Amino acid sequence: MATGPLSGIRVFDLTLAMVGPWASMQLGAMGADVIHVEQPEQRVGAFQVPPTINGTSIGYISWNMNKRGFTLDLKSPQGRANAYELIKTCDVFLMNMRPDVAGRLGVDYETVSQINPGIVYCTVTGWGHTGPMRDLPGADGQVQYFTGGAAANGAEGEDTEIYRHSTQFDATTGNYACMSILMGLVGRKKTGKGQRVDISMLRATTAMQTPRIAEYLMSKQNPARLGNQAQATAPDRAFMCADRRDLGVSATNEEEWQALCKALGRLEFIEDPRFATNTDRVDHRQELSDALSPIFASMPLDYWVLELNRAGVPNGRLMRWDEIRHHEQVLDNNYIAPVDTREWGRVWTSPGPWHFSKTPTEWSATPTIGEHNAEIVAEIEAHRAAGSSTPQRGA
Amino acid sequence: MPGPLEGYRVVELAEGVGGPYCGSALGDAGADVVKIERPEGDRARGWGSRTKGDLGAAFQSVNRSTRSIALDPDTNEGAAVVKKLIAGADIVIADAGFTRHPDLQPDALMAAHPQLIYVQISEFGEHGPQGNQPPYGELVAQLASEATTSLGVIGESAVRLGNDNASMYAGIFATQAICAALLARDQQGGQRIDVSLFGAMLFMRSTLWVALSNPDEWWGFHLDSYVKPPEYGYRCSDGAVLFSLQGVGPERRDDVYQTFEMEWVRADPLFDLLNQDGGGVGRYSHVVRPLWERAFSKFTMDEVITKTRALGGQAWPKNSYEMLVNSDQVQYLKLIQPVETPFGPIDQMIPPWEFADTPAAIQRPAPRLGEHAAEVLAEAGYSTAEVAALRSRGVLAS
Repeated sequence: MATGPLSGIRVFDLTLAMVGPWASMQLGAMGADVIHVEQPEQRVGAFQVPPTINGTSIGYISWNMNKRGFTLDLKSPQGRANAYELIKTCDVFLMNMRPDVAGRLGVDYETVSQINPGIVYCTVTGWGHTGPMRDLPGADGQVQYFTGGAAANGAEGEDTEIYRHSTQFDATTGNYACMSILMGLVGRKKTGKGQRVDISMLRATTAMQTPRIAEYLMSKQNPARLGNQAQATAPDRAFMCADRRDLGVSATNEEEWQALCKALGRLEFIEDPRFATNTDRVDHRQELSDALSPIFASMPLDYWVLELNRAGVPNGRLMRWDEIRHHEQVLDNNYIAPVDTREWGRVWTSPGPWHFSKTPTEWSATPTIGEHNAEIVAEIEAHRAAGSSTPQRGA
Repeated sequence: MPGPLEGYRVVELAEGVGGPYCGSALGDAGADVVKIERPEGDRARGWGSRTKGDLGAAFQSVNRSTRSIALDPDTNEGAAVVKKLIAGADIVIADAGFTRHPDLQPDALMAAHPQLIYVQISEFGEHGPQGNQPPYGELVAQLASEATTSLGVIGESAVRLGNDNASMYAGIFATQAICAALLARDQQGGQRIDVSLFGAMLFMRSTLWVALSNPDEWWGFHLDSYVKPPEYGYRCSDGAVLFSLQGVGPERRDDVYQTFEMEWVRADPLFDLLNQDGGGVGRYSHVVRPLWERAFSKFTMDEVITKTRALGGQAWPKNSYEMLVNSDQVQYLKLIQPVETPFGPIDQMIPPWEFADTPAAIQRPAPRLGEHAAEVLAEAGYSTAEVAALRSRGVLAS
C-alpha cells in the first residue's frame, strides 16, 4: 500500500513525451496508482530521443517513474472495452495530445464522464483548445521562444538568451497540470462530481513568469538585460571574489541590506541616501555595484560565505553535479537519490520536491513498456466480473 | 461560480515570491487567504516598477486574491492574534524563520490543531546544516542547483534566469502539496510539509541528473546545450527565431538552400557539416549557425518562419513580452484582464487553469498593508472595541 497522500487515487495516464508524464510522475510519487497507458506505436518517437540508455531515451526513463506500465490499443474494440472498464475504476484521466485526438481515440470528455462522472479529466495542449494557434505543435523550445522565455535573461549589453536546459517549460506545464488535478480532486470532496480541467503550455509557462510579465504590463518596458542582477531588487547579484569565483548575494529587504553593510565593514553605506531603500538602490544600481564589487574582490569566496552566513544575508555559490550529488544538504533532504531500474540500471534523480511529515512520498523505478499488463488485465477482468459500478473514491 | 477550493481558510506568514504565490494561487482557486504582514510590510512591496500610485507590479501579481492584516508576530499580543486566526484555518503557509515566537512554531501549532496543514517554505530544506533557512535567495538557489550553467558564457560571470524560477516552483509545489494533504486529511489528519527553493530547482533539473548517471553518454539536443554558447536564436533582419530542420528529410536540403537563396554555401568549407546539421538541434549547430544567419539576414523573422514551416521545419519568433502580450493567441484567449485597484485598473495574467464547473478567477487585487484587519478580526470573533484596543496599543500596525 502506498504511503503518500494520494493513496487510493487511481490515474488513467494517457500521456506521452514530457509534459503529461511529468505530471503523472508527481501524482505517482504522492501515492496515486498511475497506470501509464501506452499504445503499441509509442515505442518510437520520444521513446528514442537521445541520449539513451539501452536504446531508451533518458527522458522516457526520467519522466515515467512511479507508474505501472500498460499497453493498450485504443483503436481496437477489445482495447477500447478494456480502457472503459479501467476508466470506471479511476479518479483521474490525464491526456496530453493535440485537440481532437481524444475524440478519435474514443476518450473525449463526454464519453469518459459518462462512464465515470466522478473523474477529474485533465487535458494538456500546447496553445489551448481554441484560437488561431490551437493546431500548432507545442514543446519546450517553441514555447520558450513564443512566451518570452528569453525576455528577462541575458548578460549585460548582450541580446536576450534562452535557458538552454530545454525541458523546463515542459516540466512547468506538468507541474500546473498536477496542481490542477489535485485542486479538482479537492473540489470533488464537496460536490462528489468530477469535472474537466484544461491546461495549456501557453498559460502555464506565462503563469510561471507572472512577476516579470506583471512588471511589463505596468511599465510597458521589456526587462533590461542585467546578467546576474535581479530586476527589482539590489544588491541582488553575483560578485566575483578574489579567487575568481562567483558569490550570489541577495539583500532584498532593509534588514538584510544593513546586515550586509556591517558584514562588509562599511557602515557608511547605511547612511548613504543613494542606497537608503531598495528603490533607491535599484535606481543607483551601477553605483552600488561599483561600491561593492571591489570589496568582494578583495577576499576569497569562502571568506565571504562565512561572513555573510554569520550576518544572516542570503548568499550562495555555484555548485556542479559532482558536488551536488555528494553534498550533505542534498543527502540529508533526499533531494538526489539513486533509483535501480530493471532495464536501465542505476540512475540518479531528484525524488520529489515535497516532504510530508505523515504521508511520505515514495519513488519507484520506471516500468518497462507493458510491464504490468498481466496484473492490470486481471484487475480489469475481476472488476468486469464483479459487475461493480464506479467506486466512490475519496468522495 | 466559486473555485474548487472554496470554503478552505488559509493563513499566510510569507513574503517575497514563493509563499505569496502559493497563497494567491489558492486564493484564485477560491480559498479564503489571510496574509499576515510584519509592520514594515512584505519585502516585495518595495520591489519593481511603480507607475500607478505605490503599487509594485510584482507584488500585485503574486498577492492578488488575498487579504492583509499587519502586526508584529514576535510580540505576545501579535502572536495571540495570529494563533486565533490559525485556530480557524485549514492551512498555514509559512516562510522558515518568519517569526521566532514560540507559540507560532510548527510543533506548537500542530499540537494545538491536529487537523492543520502547515507548509514551510525554506531555502534549502528542513534537514541538514543549512536546514530551515528563510527562502529569500532566488539567485542562491539558481546557483546552488547549477541552473546558471545553462545560461551565459562558460567561464564568465554567471547569468541568472530573469524569472523567479526557484521561488515560483517552490510556490507551485507548495500548492500541490497542500491539495494532496487536504485529500489525505480525513484519514491521516493534518501534517507538516516542507518545500524549498533549492529542492524545487534540483527536481526541475532531474532530467539532467538521469542523463548524467551515464556521464560519458549524456549528450542530447535538450541537454548538450549545457556546454554550448549562449542561445540568442537565429538572427534575421528584424529579430531572432527558433530554427530547426528536425523532421525535414535529407532529400529536401536542396529545397532548403534554394528557399533561403544560399547556394553560395556549397562552396563553404563547413558545407558537409551544415548538411548533417538539424538546424539548431544538432551537436554542431553552434558551429554552422553563422551560415544560416548570413542567409537569414536578407529575410524578416516572419519570412523565415513562413518559409521554414513550408519546408516542414520548425520556426518560432523569439518574443519579447510586448510581442507575447500583443500576439493573436493571447488576445484571442483574453489571457490578460484588468483588475480594479484604488489607483485604477491594472492588467494581470489570469490563472493558468481552466475548470469547466468551478472556474477559478482573480478574486480581488493585492491588498494594501493591513487593509483587512478590521473585517478579518471581526470574522475571528473580535469585537469592535477589542479591535480598537489592539490598534491603540499598537498591536495592529495600520
